[in-house]
Amino acid sequence: MDSDRRRDSRSWDWDSQQCRAQLDEIFFRKHDYIQAGSTEHREFWAFFDRFQRFKTRRDMSGSSRKEGREEERDQRRSGTGKVDLGLPKEYDARYRINVSVCTKDVEERLGKSEHRGRQRSSGPGSQEISDCRLALLHFLDFSQRQSFGKLAKLRREQKNLPIYQYRDRIVELVRLHSVVVVAGDTGCGKSTQVPQYLLSAGFNHVACTQPRRIACISLAKRVSFESLNQFGSKVGHQIRFETTRTTATKLLFLTEGLLLRQIQQDRTLAQYEVVIVDEVHERHLHCDFLLGVLRSLVAERSDLRLVLMSATINIKLFSDYFSSAPVLQVPGRLFPIQVTYQPIPPEEQASRSEKLDPRPYLRILQGIDQRYPPEERGDLLLFLSGVAEISTIQEACQIYATHTRRWIVLPLHSTLSLAQQDKVFDIAPPGVRKCIISTNIAETSVTIDGVRFVADSGKVKEMSFDPKAKMQRLQEFWISRASSEQRKGRAGRTGPGVCYRLYAESDYDAFAPYPVPEIHRVALDSLILQMKSMCLGDPLSFVFIDPPPASSIQTAVTYLKEQGALDSRGELTSIGSLLAQLPVDVVIGKMLVLGSLFRLEEPMLTIAAALSVQSPFLRSAQHNPDCATARQPLHSNQGDPFTLLNTFNAWMEMKGERGGGSRKWCRRRGLEEQRLYEMVNLRRQFKELLRSHGLLESQYSTSSGGDRGQRRERLTERRKLHQLKRDHEQQESTRRKVLKLEEGEFSSGSGSDTEGAGKGKNGKERSGQNVDIQEVKFKLRHNISELQEAVTVSQDLSSRQQALLKLLICRGLYPQLALPDEHNSTRKESEQVFHTRNKQGVVIHPTSVFASDPEVLQVPESDTREMGPDRVDSSKHQLLAFVTLLETNKPYLTNCVRVPALQTLLLVANSICSNADCTRLVVDGWLELELRDPEAALKTLSTALTHRAEWERLLLAQLGTSTMGGQAVQGVSRKVTEKLSEGLVRYLLYTEVSYSLRRLTAFQTQNLYIGPQSESELPHTNTPGLSALFPGAEAKPDPIKGGLRVTSFFNYNCLADSKDLYSECLRTFWSCPNCDLYMPLTPLERMQHEASCRPAGEQQQTEEEPESGKACSSSMSSLTRVYHCDVCNEDLSLTSTEILKHKRQHMFTTN
Amino acid sequence: MSNMEHTASEAPLKTFSCQLCELSSPFTYHGQKPPNTRAIVLLEECFVTRDPFSPDREKFLVLGSNCSLCGMRVCAGSDCSIFYTKRFCMRCVNKHLDQFPHQIQAELAKKKQQSSRTAVS
Ligand SMILES: [Zn+2]
Ligand SMILES: [Zn+2]
Repeated sequence: MDSDRRRDSRSWDWDSQQCRAQLDEIFFRKHDYIQAGSTEHREFWAFFDRFQRFKTRRDMSGSSRKEGREEERDQRRSGTGKVDLGLPKEYDARYRINVSVCTKDVEERLGKSEHRGRQRSSGPGSQEISDCRLALLHFLDFSQRQSFGKLAKLRREQKNLPIYQYRDRIVELVRLHSVVVVAGDTGCGKSTQVPQYLLSAGFNHVACTQPRRIACISLAKRVSFESLNQFGSKVGHQIRFETTRTTATKLLFLTEGLLLRQIQQDRTLAQYEVVIVDEVHERHLHCDFLLGVLRSLVAERSDLRLVLMSATINIKLFSDYFSSAPVLQVPGRLFPIQVTYQPIPPEEQASRSEKLDPRPYLRILQGIDQRYPPEERGDLLLFLSGVAEISTIQEACQIYATHTRRWIVLPLHSTLSLAQQDKVFDIAPPGVRKCIISTNIAETSVTIDGVRFVADSGKVKEMSFDPKAKMQRLQEFWISRASSEQRKGRAGRTGPGVCYRLYAESDYDAFAPYPVPEIHRVALDSLILQMKSMCLGDPLSFVFIDPPPASSIQTAVTYLKEQGALDSRGELTSIGSLLAQLPVDVVIGKMLVLGSLFRLEEPMLTIAAALSVQSPFLRSAQHNPDCATARQPLHSNQGDPFTLLNTFNAWMEMKGERGGGSRKWCRRRGLEEQRLYEMVNLRRQFKELLRSHGLLESQYSTSSGGDRGQRRERLTERRKLHQLKRDHEQQESTRRKVLKLEEGEFSSGSGSDTEGAGKGKNGKERSGQNVDIQEVKFKLRHNISELQEAVTVSQDLSSRQQALLKLLICRGLYPQLALPDEHNSTRKESEQVFHTRNKQGVVIHPTSVFASDPEVLQVPESDTREMGPDRVDSSKHQLLAFVTLLETNKPYLTNCVRVPALQTLLLVANSICSNADCTRLVVDGWLELELRDPEAALKTLSTALTHRAEWERLLLAQLGTSTMGGQAVQGVSRKVTEKLSEGLVRYLLYTEVSYSLRRLTAFQTQNLYIGPQSESELPHTNTPGLSALFPGAEAKPDPIKGGLRVTSFFNYNCLADSKDLYSECLRTFWSCPNCDLYMPLTPLERMQHEASCRPAGEQQQTEEEPESGKACSSSMSSLTRVYHCDVCNEDLSLTSTEILKHKRQHMFTTN
Repeated sequence: MSNMEHTASEAPLKTFSCQLCELSSPFTYHGQKPPNTRAIVLLEECFVTRDPFSPDREKFLVLGSNCSLCGMRVCAGSDCSIFYTKRFCMRCVNKHLDQFPHQIQAELAKKKQQSSRTAVS
């Protein structure tokens, strides 16, 4: 026996890859149950090693033989007078396996090798083959047990959920009633189980909405696992950028916003049999609206089933809203929680300006250390109102933690990097507790296991909207009793807990019962726009579960009118109906449309995406000098959108060049890469939307190009990526890592660097995670070469394109404009002040480029001319267009772009009023511009009017074709838009008119206009050619402001200081550059002439244009009008220029 | 892929349910030779489903079978049955414990002890 073994070991080596490969050819062939190269195959050989070691150990101890004999004796003793089971005499573990493996191949080899004996010098002998087969049987058995164990555990857990016993009741209620309310507290299992109960009861096509995207993903994952469809698509999710939905999907988790979008497409939601709206008690804007829409849908579709799921908060409200829908209340599974009120003594209460006093919080940590031995595990979750408060308390707690070595302090809020957020789920080492200091994000959105202690400050910071100042405001409030209970509940999820409330019980009693629903706090612009596009009638009469104040609906309607999304009667405009379909802010949507019109879609897509996600620039890295230096080349002093554009482009370029390594690149610059990935996804979604609305030429994807070899290469690459993604997903469920004691010490400062170091150290253990899964997903989702082309396009923007892009951004953002204070040049960098129309004295947010470089906003001294104490004339005045006005401790402007004031205002403003010679202009009733030179003033204004008319015409033409579903053909020819963009750029860059710019005082705005005039005061309303100034627009007296309303945005001669335009003294000799006209004209006559007299080339071009030919000819014909000449006594059809020429004819003849 | 799934989900699913622990789950095959298992043969007539925890669609999972003595339908869990050349439900095992080898007896005794300990604490 011994010698045999030695001989074997000479020819057969189990550790040799070659020897194993020989067995692979017998057991793991292409058509076998387990194939060489598969995951199971790898697992088998790992199992084999363990199995061999186990056998050797057992053989050495020699126990098996002895036991075998004992057993025989045992068996002989028993068995009298009973059924003989016929079990084998000798125990063998193999008898416990209910599987066998037999192929002809194996049998033959086993047989043959017996004949040939040891003749074969290499290759597996019978011993090896039977060893391998035995190991395989054990492996199969092991896998079976493993999977069965999972299944059994799953079923056990499902049964243990409190909601399990209501299973039949829920199904029955849904069968009988069209609306059912299921109310249950955290941990009752409603979100995961109710959809499954309905599915297994035979309901198909179930939609389940969630307020948060992350919940859609995790629930779909969990429920597909629980319903044993982990690798199928019976259960799927759909969120903004991604979906796992297929035709086989029966249960879909999706966001509330997305279901609303689906209703826009499919009004009756015919695709669903059941709609479950989860977390209705959170009262998000979309959810409240969705409930309203579903309420009328249920009345219409008797077969639709609606299930509302809520915490046990305010259930009656929901039931009543749906005509007393039945309520099923499920008890939660919370362990008892002991509540301690520890109000903060007055001397430790911070006044508004001061930092939070950390003493009350430190006492809680100390108290826990004194009362509970460290071996009794359980972490602390501390709720504070905001990020500043968190860092104050974190600092103090960290000192205590470093001293005691019993705590790891971790912050948690949404502006942290995802890697830092993720740390709160890691495990503290024995004897150490986590102290997680969080905003209300941990109240519902993030659930952390293992929390035993909760400390609640009772405060929350909430965003509210101030309609008067058009400003977002972040304010601190007391929380509601419902929130307070929710926070407390976080201590009792895994065992009995303790909740310290840092307020008095009387305070608690005085709290509002529920939080203020979002619909009462936020701007309703998008909501109203969506309602309009869904034809839901007057928003004021829509039956909301808790209607928002009428004033807030009114504000939104006004804003949408200002934005051009609604017309004066409150109906959707063509751009409005397009904007309603884009899942973005109205301003961003406008930018996208404008960008596509001028063929600047590539940079605009990036900017629009960048402005729609959180900033990728981490606040924590701002004070890190290395990051600041690395970021420097990305900055653009044109404005924050351009910095974001540069950042995105540089990131894309880097990804193209080096492939991987973008994580490190981002870390060095203090960038949260996740945001860039979000941007690239959003960008793609925008592009698809524009394409589907015919606003972009549909491009045939270049990915299908290339020769066969290239295609094959790409295919293999994609397969590899898919495999990587699958591997990652499998590893994801592996265990959490254990935190190090020092973990918290770095997380406040240069956190991003230590993260990298930490990951590196763990090296081998987490090697699987070294695969940058984001990078893999990115490569799978996007066509990199296409993206890189887009980047190249938007990287080499000429100064002309940049100027145009800025104008388009500004038109999108309008009326969100701010004026630099006149005294800024004498102020310190940090004290620069700006004014918006509705709010004075705002400052630039410290994250903006202009906060560190405010000089570029000032008028260069070389260009100024002091005209008096309050008047500085220059051609270089600038304004800031901004994305948000946000008040925290101060009102801040965020995401700003600087634009030339005069040109931009004339090109985008909704209301421009002038005096008689157009040297004084008032824009939107708050900005006053005074131009010195009447000649130049007139020219500037008239050019703007001409450009705007053309711009409007092209925009309508483009939107017109897009709504008609024109696909490949764009409504506007390239030549025409190029002409316009050239004109606009020239206007923006080379208008060198000196003017003053200031904000009107409240007093000045009172007596701004002439006011209504009687007919007799307006002798010139029937002036020939006035309406020809703008085709389709008729100049008529303005009943409120006075003067003449020339276009929808331009009011001529209505300012109180106005002179009479037609008084002869205003007539000056003028020669037209386009025709041979030379004669004395009034300003208005001149503008009329300029509007109709185009250079010869330009007119030809419009004629060439095939698509908009009709619009064009009608506009041409509208230029001619019937003119009755008193001298000739004849009706003539002439353009205004021709009329002037005609008149001149008589002038000379009569003189 | 979605096509296959479609047809799979269309087929009426019968449910296996353990008569001892009530564990239940749909099964797709009953017998000794589940589809696509090549060289593998089961040594008893089993209720089989696709292994839901494997990404590979061809992997099977045995849910349980009938006790070879009393015919009761039992799951493969060690609390409900034992396979030792044949399937025995736990009731039958306990009835004929003396015929089972020493190893199995010891194992069961140990388990009983453990479960009673957890029940006490
Ligand atoms: Zn069972
Ligand atoms: Zn039995």
